[in-house]
Amino acid sequence: MTLATALSVRGLHKTVHVGFRRRPVEILKGVDLAVEPNDVFGLLGPNGAGKTTTVKVALGLMRASSGSVDLGVPGLSHVGYLPENPYFYDYLSGREFLGFCARLFGLDGDARHERVEQLLRDVGLDDAAATHLHKYSKGMLQRIGIAQALVNDPELLLLDEPMTGLDPVGRVEVKRIIEGLHERGKTVMFNSHILGDVHELCTRIAIMRTGRVVWQGSVDEALAESATLEDFFMKVVTA
Amino acid sequence: MNQVVAVTINTFKETIRDRVLAVIVVFALLMIAGGLWLGSISLGEQGRMMKDFGLVALTVFGLIVAVFVAAGLVHKEVEKRTVFILFSKPVSRTAFIAGKFVGLCGTMAVVIAGMGLFLFVLVWIVAGQASGTLLLAVVMIYVQLLAVMAVTILFSTLGSAILAAVLGICVFVAGQLSHNVLALTRLGKNPLTEVLSWVIYVVIPNLSAVDIKAGAVGEQTLAWAQIGLWVAYLLAYLVVALALAAVIFRRKEF
Repeated sequence: MTLATALSVRGLHKTVHVGFRRRPVEILKGVDLAVEPNDVFGLLGPNGAGKTTTVKVALGLMRASSGSVDLGVPGLSHVGYLPENPYFYDYLSGREFLGFCARLFGLDGDARHERVEQLLRDVGLDDAAATHLHKYSKGMLQRIGIAQALVNDPELLLLDEPMTGLDPVGRVEVKRIIEGLHERGKTVMFNSHILGDVHELCTRIAIMRTGRVVWQGSVDEALAESATLEDFFMKVVTA
Repeated sequence: MNQVVAVTINTFKETIRDRVLAVIVVFALLMIAGGLWLGSISLGEQGRMMKDFGLVALTVFGLIVAVFVAAGLVHKEVEKRTVFILFSKPVSRTAFIAGKFVGLCGTMAVVIAGMGLFLFVLVWIVAGQASGTLLLAVVMIYVQLLAVMAVTILFSTLGSAILAAVLGICVFVAGQLSHNVLALTRLGKNPLTEVLSWVIYVVIPNLSAVDIKAGAVGEQTLAWAQIGLWVAYLLAYLVVALALAAVIFRRKEF
């Protein structure tokens, strides 16, 4: 499938009501974002900038107050998502969990079995396939999380803080997976605070601050303005 | 449909592998077996006492499992944030509620069938025979619990899991008594209490209509056609409760 735009967000506003008096809090204040096909897109910003909310609205986990999101693919059938600090069903084994996810996409019988075994091999968990998820390490959970996001062979992959809390080996493994997806022509958007990984992996980035995208462009464009991505990031978010 | 089947299988695995459930079931089996002792101190009514006590124990423990598991089913997914995984895939909220309910129905079928067969065997040993009516009484307890589970799931989409469980138990108790309350208030000739009890009678599922425990122990003749209609009513009731739960759940954000 060839996408015209992998993800397009226009004028996205999100207001939530908190507390007993239902005080309105505007989380997103008109987010504009465009992710092109085969981008590895980094969505950056300080905590509370609205990165996760933007992704949740894109996936329909939250409703937009106004504005629009175009995933570039019909429905969620061609989208994969890994939430931040994911929790999975700890009473299932890795194989059972991926089988469950595959069944949600309508994969049956041999097709499901083959897909699950392929994914277990791809993320290096074939030896732990029969182990229950509550016995998995953080790195293994992150890898099974990526595997479940890939179960439908998605065109667009949204990863929320995929490297957070991982040891150096786990980070390298996740980075290899993202690079592999890019080589296969997939579009990946991920939120991250680890700018070194962003520099290494991303083709384009957007920086959010207090519910708005304040800058977006290529990594090269950012590096043309500052010596390092860290310097550029600090300049943009403190401006 | 694939999504409903997937959620159903997952819910069945989740609930059947729960160690708390296993502990409750073991305790329930011990309680049912306790009927042997009660029977031994009742003069010549050992079989009847066994049936009576066993069916009550089965109902109480079935109710505990039904409401506490049903109340936590949806909440657990939200609290542990597994809904992010589910609803970022093409799974509708309606399919989720339906799958959760059907999966729990499967677990309850295993639990109730296990307890029911255990009771049947004990009655056979004690009385030398056991009628099929005893097994039908167990099936009717299962039907009542299905309605209570659906209502509990509905409550769990509105408030906390504990509140949903408490309300589920209240519905079960009220469902056993509502027709008696209605009959009593009609005798009192007070229009206000009569209207109130009529409203409760209509809103709360009439569970006593399919309660055939008395028939199973030989105290009552059973009108099967009428019981069949009441079973259909309870099934329609639970469909409405689940549809309402789905409508409320569709409005939730995560």
